[in-house]
Amino acid sequence: MTILAAYGPFDAIFLGSVLILTTPILIAAVGEMISERAGVLNVGLEGMMLAGAFFSYWATWRSGNLGVGLLVGIAAGAAFGVIMGVVSIEARANQIVAGVGINIVAIGLVTFVYDQVFGSRALVTVGRIHTWDIPLLSDIPGIGKAVFANSPLVFLAFLLVPASWFLLYRTKWGLSIRAAGELPVAADAAGVSVRRVQWTGLLVAASLAGLAGAFLSIDQLGLYRNGLSGGRGYLALVAVIFGRWHPSGVLGASLALGGTTALALRLQSQGDVPPEVWMVIGVIGAVAAALATRTAINRGRSPAAPLVALGLAIAGFVLYATAPSLDLPDQLWRSLPYLIALVVLAGPGGAVRMPSHLTIPYRRGT
Amino acid sequence: MALVFVAASGHSPSAAASAFWEGAFGDRTAFATTLEQAIPLMFVALAWIIAFNAGRFHVGFPGQIMVAGTVIGAIALTFSAPRVVQLPLAIVGGMIGGAAYAGVMAWLWARFGVNEILSSLLLNFIAFEYLAWIVRGPLQEPMHVQPSTDILKGTARWPILLTDTSLKWDLFLVPFLVVGMVFLLKRTRLGMRIRMVGASEPVARHAGVRTVRMGVYAMLISGALAGLAASSLLLAGDAPEMTDDFESFVGFHGIAVALLARNSPIGVIPAAILFSALTQGSTLVEALVGVSSAVADITQGIVILLVLSATTILYFLRSSRRGIVRTARAPEASVSRPEAG
Repeated sequence: MTILAAYGPFDAIFLGSVLILTTPILIAAVGEMISERAGVLNVGLEGMMLAGAFFSYWATWRSGNLGVGLLVGIAAGAAFGVIMGVVSIEARANQIVAGVGINIVAIGLVTFVYDQVFGSRALVTVGRIHTWDIPLLSDIPGIGKAVFANSPLVFLAFLLVPASWFLLYRTKWGLSIRAAGELPVAADAAGVSVRRVQWTGLLVAASLAGLAGAFLSIDQLGLYRNGLSGGRGYLALVAVIFGRWHPSGVLGASLALGGTTALALRLQSQGDVPPEVWMVIGVIGAVAAALATRTAINRGRSPAAPLVALGLAIAGFVLYATAPSLDLPDQLWRSLPYLIALVVLAGPGGAVRMPSHLTIPYRRGT
Repeated sequence: MALVFVAASGHSPSAAASAFWEGAFGDRTAFATTLEQAIPLMFVALAWIIAFNAGRFHVGFPGQIMVAGTVIGAIALTFSAPRVVQLPLAIVGGMIGGAAYAGVMAWLWARFGVNEILSSLLLNFIAFEYLAWIVRGPLQEPMHVQPSTDILKGTARWPILLTDTSLKWDLFLVPFLVVGMVFLLKRTRLGMRIRMVGASEPVARHAGVRTVRMGVYAMLISGALAGLAASSLLLAGDAPEMTDDFESFVGFHGIAVALLARNSPIGVIPAAILFSALTQGSTLVEALVGVSSAVADITQGIVILLVLSATTILYFLRSSRRGIVRTARAPEASVSRPEAG
């Protein structure tokens, strides 16, 4: 395969792995964004994803049909969504602790059933979902195969972004969702059932988390093993925060999380950090500095954010020029997205975007 | 309820039940282990309670335990000193480490208004990567193979309380801390101000309480208690070294223990023992009867969800019977942003 436009470790294979690593995070994050806009913080995402991964695999193995597997995976996620809804929306319990409880139950249940069904068997693989080659586009030399010859779920994940934007900002249902998370009293007064809206938001999040889990087991691997979701549910939560509860932000954040995971994987096998990595960090810092400066000037905000971004850019270019022999731990790369997310939250207007009634149970007639 | 799962797996529920009892409370050794494993849970539960009273619902205990663990590990590995010096130093070091990491969250909240639930969630991940690096980098065992530290110095570890069991002297911290927490909350000015802020931020502010400062204090104390849990895990636990998974969900389970105790410092003791017994008992059930110990996870999770729903519903029932119109005090404070100044 000829590789065009490769830049150090950033080649077509890298691009392909970014897309695949982004997909489960993005699918779950879009759902979680909708749920959080409705005011329900669903920390149980990780458990729902694991349940989706296991039950879709089990169903595929039993039925031999991937379609059945996908549906069962979605249903498994949704089932935990129902439990979450009963506890957090109906009983109005603390959403975070409820989510933690969901995670513990889901991990325990999946481990238990896995031990019962597959414990004594050798590892069974099931058929995987076939990739779709999009005509013409997948023939583009270099990136074509990496981008346009993927599982349909990869394409679906990226289609969910404009779809969720349309739902949230162009439909009546989206308006109710946003109202329920922002000012539930007003939504209630306008005749919207806050309860019902929160239920639908939560179930969308839970079903998509199940789908994201199914992507991991019956799409990527064709098998299941304990702990398969590997914290991706939590990454999806981070993507929603980092993406500031907006579809395009969530897309960017998911790509950043997928990208740093792919980079950490790639750099694991190499000793020194290739200088191209510093160049890319420098360019990203410069672009961020330019954007942040524009915002700071337009809105008269403090110059802290542009300065941080400028510092990042300068550091990147200096390290590129000097090319020091650095063997940085891959944990550093992996913690990078969380650090950036914290900076974004602390930055100007970072916390303001949060749905103001997130995690607050709504109670009529108070 | 757990017996349903046992029966579903085709094993005898009665055999499992007796094995469970054996494992959790059966003899001196079993009960001592149950008790020892309950201690870090109690500390985390107390850490939750102090933050809860100030209306700050952070979930940063795992991260604070991990960061505190690296401080404790460094103190317990790098030098040798008599136990009277090294053990207290390691414990205090851990508490400072936990408080310092909670300080990051408190600073982000007080200075920038970053919601502490979200920031503590993110800080947990950073702490996890940091710990993973510490046990594969600076503090890795000399062979450089395992993701763990060398064996921690014996002079930094808690002495054994009951011979031939895993129960250590850190048990005596428990009554001291439980009483201390009740005293702090009910009998001191600081505790009263913290509770005022948690009950109603505007009222506290009008009464002249520095609400942001109280929130920060509560989070720092909370972090120090999480650090104390780390010291019990590392210096009184069964594993002689620090691994990258020594936290083993104590940070989250501790929250569940606090809820089970309905946020009462004294109730934390039986609740933590119950939780610990579930884990210990099911370990023996797995060994003897062959039922996956994942049943313990399922049961613990269901207990959390049931207790959570029940206490919240009871709370609303009681307040509506009194005819008092008010929203749940807990969630109301959870998103309140600190006022400038």
